[in-house]
Amino acid sequence: MTTMLNEGHVRVQDVTIRFNGKKGPVIALDTTNVDLKPGTFTALIGPSGCGKSTLMNAIGGFVKTSSGTIALDGVPITGPSDKVGVIFQQYGLFPWFTALGNVRFGLKRLGLSKAEEIDRARAALDEVGLGAHADKYPQQLSGGMKQRVAIARTFAFGPKVLLMDEPFGALDAQTRLVMHDLLLSVWQKHRATVLFVTHDVDEALLLADEVRVMSQAPGRLIRHYELTQARPRTFSRSGSDLLTIRDEIIDLLRPRALIDA
Amino acid sequence: MAVTDLQTPPTSENGLLPQIKRLCGIAAATLTGGPVISFLFILGIWSAVGALQILPEAIFPAPWSVWSATVEMWQNGTLAKDLRVSLSRAAIGFVLGASLGVALGLLTGRVAVIRTLLNPFLTLLRPIPAIALVPVAIVWFGIGEGSKYFVISYTVFLTVWFNTHHGMEYVPETYLRASRSLGASKLREFLTVVIPAAAPHIFAGIRLGVALAFLSLVAAELSGASSGIGYRLQEARQYIRTDRMFSLLIILGLLGATVDLIVHHIGKKLVHWEQS
Repeated sequence: MTTMLNEGHVRVQDVTIRFNGKKGPVIALDTTNVDLKPGTFTALIGPSGCGKSTLMNAIGGFVKTSSGTIALDGVPITGPSDKVGVIFQQYGLFPWFTALGNVRFGLKRLGLSKAEEIDRARAALDEVGLGAHADKYPQQLSGGMKQRVAIARTFAFGPKVLLMDEPFGALDAQTRLVMHDLLLSVWQKHRATVLFVTHDVDEALLLADEVRVMSQAPGRLIRHYELTQARPRTFSRSGSDLLTIRDEIIDLLRPRALIDA
Repeated sequence: MAVTDLQTPPTSENGLLPQIKRLCGIAAATLTGGPVISFLFILGIWSAVGALQILPEAIFPAPWSVWSATVEMWQNGTLAKDLRVSLSRAAIGFVLGASLGVALGLLTGRVAVIRTLLNPFLTLLRPIPAIALVPVAIVWFGIGEGSKYFVISYTVFLTVWFNTHHGMEYVPETYLRASRSLGASKLREFLTVVIPAAAPHIFAGIRLGVALAFLSLVAAELSGASSGIGYRLQEARQYIRTDRMFSLLIILGLLGATVDLIVHHIGKKLVHWEQS
């Protein structure tokens, strides 16, 4: 457990990100400092277009920082790597592979024998309750099932950090709740450091150890909450603190409040 | 229970009748929705025009004259030979052009230097019709098979290249990000992500290429041939055999449509994920 807790430490130091827009440079992310401690679950919440996905993409190595550094366990992140897993809102599954084929794709780099690779991929699908659908193609699966395949695919090769960009945004409310339970159980087993981008306040409060709130563009982190309530959480059972925080965040996200801040 | 009772027929003996009716309905719908009705309709008008002798037979032959011309060409052996020659020209030209098109499309889609060097030039070549190349082809390759292959493969190549290149450009960013974050090497990403993602476009290009191989076939056979459907059309003109011309044109149309159907079905099997 102690060795696990030393891995997957993301340190974002003085990072700004600018893009070249049509009317000159646009600041997508204002000076940001944040530490994602090993094995923690951080929810990043903010109004749309505030730069939360930009920060996530920078940690994923998809976007270059304009200044400052992002390091994983002391090593600067320079591009995408298999140490950082990503789960996309649009699933990112390959439609030409079956569910099993998609999971196997992520296992290829381990250089396992074919039988071993299939076994591990099957085990990963079993873990998310999709063992019976291993040979189906993504387009034959529902949205919730697709995202389960994506979760299985990412956890199967054991990333140290897991980035999730509004992963359940396209799902209906009922499916979301099921996915929350599933995600927590898989995460508690594998213990990656999670950064979960969402604009759903309730989702952030039910899942995360830490909730970070971002301002409107140009985005910067304006509030930080640590949640210690035991999981699984519900608003009726997990104490009134959660509801107080919920009200505060909703107030923070209101455009009017942001002008004052 | 009451609801299901209302929906089932009162006696089980009658169960067969609705089924037959349903099958007849499907068959009728297939025929009316399919090409048969259209063909019968045109054939009917054509027969009427032929029977009433509105136009001289030498200008606009009746269906039965076209049919007997077909039988005649078949019996004297020219039709089979022409088909064999033309189809092999189209096939060889297509294979040459399509493989070069796919290969170069993958390169221009992937390698910036090659794209910068070649794309503007290739784009400039696209509007040049196949028939305009015939004189050049004859100078370069003579009147042998070479000039036919050149004209056909040139046309097929440009279309297949263009579609492949565009398929490569529109590979969704999410696939590339997923692949990279899953630790795939550049080569594996190219083979198992980029190419499948571009495959629907590549196949669209190949299907167009097949159609163009047929279209440019006739143009290619104008470059001095002694057999082939295109040559036979020329010959029929010299003897004012419109019945033969009609026969050859219909055969060309049917051949093209059949090959297109086959290619379409193969494409659907190979890029099965594109259907939803």
